[in-house]
Amino acid sequence: MTEALAAMASVVTDPYLLFLILVTTIVGVVIGALPGLGATTGAALLLPFTLTMDPVHAIAVLSTIYVSATFAGSITAILINTPGTSAAAATCLDGYPMAQRGEAGRALGIAVVSSTIGGIFSVIALCIAAPLLATVAYEFRPPEYFALTLFGLSMLASISAGGAIKNLIGGLFGVWLATIGADKSTSIERFMFGNYDLYEGLHFVPVMIGLFAMSELLVQSTRLNLIVETAVMKAVQLPSMADYRKIWRTILRSCGIGTFIGVLPAEGATVASMIGYSEARRWSKNKEEFGKGSVEGIAGAEAANNAATGGAMVPTMVLGIPGSGTTAVILVGLLVHGLRPGPYLFTEQVDKVYAIFGAMMVANVMFLVLGLYAAKLFARVSLVPTALLWPIVFALSVIGAYALNQSLQDVWIVLIFGIIGYFMRRFGFAVAPVAIGLILGEMVETNLQNSLKIFDGQWWLILTQPLAAFFLVLAVLGLCGPVLFGWLSRRQPKDAAQPET
Amino acid sequence: MDADPDIEGGADTRRPSTFNDWLVPAVIFAVCAAVVYFALQLDTAPAIIIGEAMQPRSFPIFLMVLIGVLNIALIAQLLRGSRMPNPKHAAQTWVTMALMAVFYLLTVYVDLFVGLMVVIFVMALAWGERRYWLAALTAIVTPLSIFLLFDLVLKVRFPRGVLTELYYG
Repeated sequence: MTEALAAMASVVTDPYLLFLILVTTIVGVVIGALPGLGATTGAALLLPFTLTMDPVHAIAVLSTIYVSATFAGSITAILINTPGTSAAAATCLDGYPMAQRGEAGRALGIAVVSSTIGGIFSVIALCIAAPLLATVAYEFRPPEYFALTLFGLSMLASISAGGAIKNLIGGLFGVWLATIGADKSTSIERFMFGNYDLYEGLHFVPVMIGLFAMSELLVQSTRLNLIVETAVMKAVQLPSMADYRKIWRTILRSCGIGTFIGVLPAEGATVASMIGYSEARRWSKNKEEFGKGSVEGIAGAEAANNAATGGAMVPTMVLGIPGSGTTAVILVGLLVHGLRPGPYLFTEQVDKVYAIFGAMMVANVMFLVLGLYAAKLFARVSLVPTALLWPIVFALSVIGAYALNQSLQDVWIVLIFGIIGYFMRRFGFAVAPVAIGLILGEMVETNLQNSLKIFDGQWWLILTQPLAAFFLVLAVLGLCGPVLFGWLSRRQPKDAAQPET
Repeated sequence: MDADPDIEGGADTRRPSTFNDWLVPAVIFAVCAAVVYFALQLDTAPAIIIGEAMQPRSFPIFLMVLIGVLNIALIAQLLRGSRMPNPKHAAQTWVTMALMAVFYLLTVYVDLFVGLMVVIFVMALAWGERRYWLAALTAIVTPLSIFLLFDLVLKVRFPRGVLTELYYG
């Protein structure tokens, strides 16, 4: 424990790391404020820049992008009614009406403070929950890991974007992509078509950049005629005591909701903010204000989406299962820098793990300061001409993908997955399940193969392992959840319409 | 999940399209069939190596069967009246994709950075930038800055081409 606290404190005494966090927070806020460029795209684009860094610095940079861009989506949500990230979509509902009636500064102040509290709460939760989960995860053997990864994949059914079926198809497609290359146990080549650059499989980084950044570029090309109205803002205001009295319960509730949702594999900030917002409305005494400029609405959504960032890091670091699209990129960053996610990370590399947690804590404080004093400046970023911004993103994407392995094949993979991702998104498929499936693919197959070896090919014996059976039950619930909730929500209005007898 | 709810499966209020409704399941089935076909061509591992585990072909085939079943569920949804999104692809989207092909050719046959310059310049104009000087300036400054950053700071060596040859000598 002392070692962990010392590692966290070491962040404050490392001037270079503090400088990196400051610069990355500014970059993250700019990325988050630019509609289309969210935390996931930002992290994917910045990953190649971390190549020469020390592992702690590199992951601190990626984590800082995650927390700062997640917050910054609210700036454009409030000022121009366009969420910079999908996690800020719920913030538009009350943020923009407040801005329209001349309270943009107050709305942003509430968003900044709520996000910071949510972020710090979730990092504390991460510090407590991660080692506890790690002690449980020591007991995991291949059957448990197989069941756990199945649970992670099943949760794709209930994420916000796309439908349950489409998300599962995307996830399984990602798992199939992970089978490309030489089979790990037999070295038999699969789907390589004579291309020996694919022997070790598809590199994660170019696939991520293609799916997130390049597909977003193509999507943006369909939105060139969108006209945005900008609300006027004088300065960001800290919430008044009356505001605090109104929102503190909402913030605390959303902190819990966000952290919990974040911990669930494949769930993330968008789901958290939606649930945080709807719960804020459900428990509010002023329900009629929601949608017209409610401070509780902003606080509920913003505290929850930033609380999800720390939560999502728990399964990522302890189990190697990404909690969201951005943590999928961070997980790739961990692997690239030689930090193998898993319970042993918490015994063998404890100083590094807690330094990363410390960096996330510092990043939350930094975006509080930047949000309060420079939000007006960052809001102007959204006015950068799209016609110049996205060609620059194109250049960064292809060079970033090339830089990792210095291979032109990775550049072609970016272009191919950009086009695949574009068509998927235009036909209602989310791309994040593909990324998560790709990362989990090897884990699923390897652990299934090892389980079959342990049980002499009798796969049903996996069910005799209590933890594995528990995760498989959760996986079934994860798959049935959307169907059940859909059925219940269709049934509710009917029941409500029944006259009382 | 960082996603765009407008595009990725948000409430679809657009005009239904029978072609799109059936195109997506058809493409999914075609991909599944192709993968199963190629999986069946894979070598078989000897029993002494594989033991009680699966053959390398089994897992991909199993995945494709699962996707096929989900695709049938997708078709069932369509038959019950739900619709695929009917996206309108802008002319700029096709231009951007064509530029990617141009970028490939220029990178392979001329130089990576020539490819970047051409793509940035033409994409900026195609996306509506009317200040030619600004588009040209961006097309020169961006690749140059990226090259210097990656070469000098990150020590990345780029493939030799017409321009990089001048620098590397």
